[in-house]
Amino acid sequence: MGEEYKIQVFDAETQNLLKTALKEPSSVDLEKVANVIVEQSLRDATFSREAGKMCYTIIQAEGKESGRSVFRSALLNRLQVEYRNREEMRARSVQEWVCYVSFICNIFDYLRINNMPMLALVNPVYDCLFQLAQPESLQREEEVDCLVLQLHKVGEQLEKMNAQRMDELFSLLRDSFLLQGGLGSLAQLLLLEMIEYRAAGWKMTDAAQKYYYSEVSD
Amino acid sequence: MYRQRESRTDKHRSAPPTRWSQGRKRRSDGHFRRLNDEEETVFDKEMPSENCVQRPDRLTSRHSFPTSFTTPEGHKPVSRCKDWGSAVEEEEVLMETIERDMASYRRKLHLNECVSRERRSSSGSSDSKDSSIHGEIETDMETLTRRQKQINYGKNTISYDRYLQAVPRHKRQQGAHPRTPNKFKKYSRRSWDQQIRIWRIALHEWDPPKDEAGDDLQPFCEEMSCSASETASADTLLAGTPTKVRKVESEGGFDLNACLNNDADPEFA
Repeated sequence: MGEEYKIQVFDAETQNLLKTALKEPSSVDLEKVANVIVEQSLRDATFSREAGKMCYTIIQAEGKESGRSVFRSALLNRLQVEYRNREEMRARSVQEWVCYVSFICNIFDYLRINNMPMLALVNPVYDCLFQLAQPESLQREEEVDCLVLQLHKVGEQLEKMNAQRMDELFSLLRDSFLLQGGLGSLAQLLLLEMIEYRAAGWKMTDAAQKYYYSEVSD
Repeated sequence: MYRQRESRTDKHRSAPPTRWSQGRKRRSDGHFRRLNDEEETVFDKEMPSENCVQRPDRLTSRHSFPTSFTTPEGHKPVSRCKDWGSAVEEEEVLMETIERDMASYRRKLHLNECVSRERRSSSGSSDSKDSSIHGEIETDMETLTRRQKQINYGKNTISYDRYLQAVPRHKRQQGAHPRTPNKFKKYSRRSWDQQIRIWRIALHEWDPPKDEAGDDLQPFCEEMSCSASETASADTLLAGTPTKVRKVESEGGFDLNACLNNDADPEFA
C-alpha cells in the first residue's frame, strides 16, 4: 500500500525515513521529513503533484499517534519560507517555481481542517496564481500550463474561499487572452478553455470537452 | 529605527500606529503588542468561548482575510501572521470553538423546545415564529467561521473587557445592553453584518477614556470598510431597504442614534 507513494527516487536511508514517518511518525525527526519532501517536490514535477497524499497520511498518523501536528507545522513553515523567496526562486529556475506552485496547490487540495481548505493558504495560493497570470509568465508554456492545471484542481475551492480574488484573476486572464500581443496559440487555447471551464461552473461541458480534446485523443 | 519608533508609539499610545493592523493586535492581557512580538497566547481548550478573561486573541490576529481587507489597492496581501503552521493550528481552534458552541446551542434549543411544548399543551399558546425553535440553525462552516471571527474581533477589544467588567453577563438587561449576535441563527449576510455593526458601535460606549484610546477606533473603521466592500457596498444596499434596517435596529433594542452621537466617528455619523 505504502508503495503507491513514489519513494523509490530517494536513497535507501531517506526511503527508510519516509517509510517510518508513514507508520510511526513520532519516532522520526518530522521536521527533517518535511524538508525532504519539500525539497524533492521542488526538483521533481511528478512528485510535486502527488506529495500531498503522502503528507496527508503522515499528518493523520501523527494525529492518531500523539495528537500533535509537528509535521504539518514544519511542512507549512517550510512552504512559507519558499513562498517568501518565490521571486528569487522563479528568477533562478522556472522549473523549480512551477514545481513549487504545483506542490502548494496539491497541499491546499489535500490537507483540510474540518473538511474546509486551510484559510492560511488561500491568499498565498492566489498570489502564486496571480504571478503565473502575469503577461511575462503567460509567454512561457510551463507557466501557463501550470496555471491552468492548478485552476482545474483548486479553482472551485479557491473561489468559494475568496470570490473577489478569483474575479480579479479571471479579469487578468480575459485581458491577456484578448489584448496581449505575442501570446502563443497554445497559451491562448489554454486560457480560453479555462475561461469556459469556470463559466460553466468549474465543469467541462461535453461540447467543450469535444472541442478541446477530440484532437488529442485521435 | 523603525522598530524603535513603533515600540515607543506602543508605550505611550500618543500617535496612531504606522500600520493599522498593529493597532488591533493585543496581547492576552489587553495591552497592545509590540512590533514583532511573538507572544504565543496559550489557549485553554476547556474555556468556553463566552469567557472573556482568557480569550484567545490570536484567533483574531490571523492574516487570512479576503484581500479587500488587507490591501484594497492591490492583490498582494500584507502578511500579518507569524507562520502558516500556527495559523492553521488557530484555524483548528476556531473550528473547535464553533463545534463546541454548536453542541451546546443544540442542547439549549432542545431544552427550550421541550419546555415550550409543555407550555403549549397546558396553556394552548400560539406557536413561536422564531425559526430557531424548530431546529433551523446555521450549519455552514464557512459562514460560521466568518461570523466567529467577526465576534472575536468585537470581543478582543479593551471596550469589551470594560463592558464585561462593568456589566457582568447575568446583569445584562435586554434592550439596555449590547448582546452578541447569535451566530447559529439563520440570517442573511446583510442582516448579520448589520447586527455586528450595531453591536460594535454599542460596545464603543465602554471605550476607555479618550486620551488612552487614541487609536482604538482605527481598527474598527478598517474592518467596517472591509465588510462594506465585501458585501458590494453595504451602504448602498442598506439604503435600498430601509425597513429591514429599521427592523434590525429595533431588534438590537438600544438607541443607535445615541451611540452614533457619542461616537465621533465620521464613518457612521
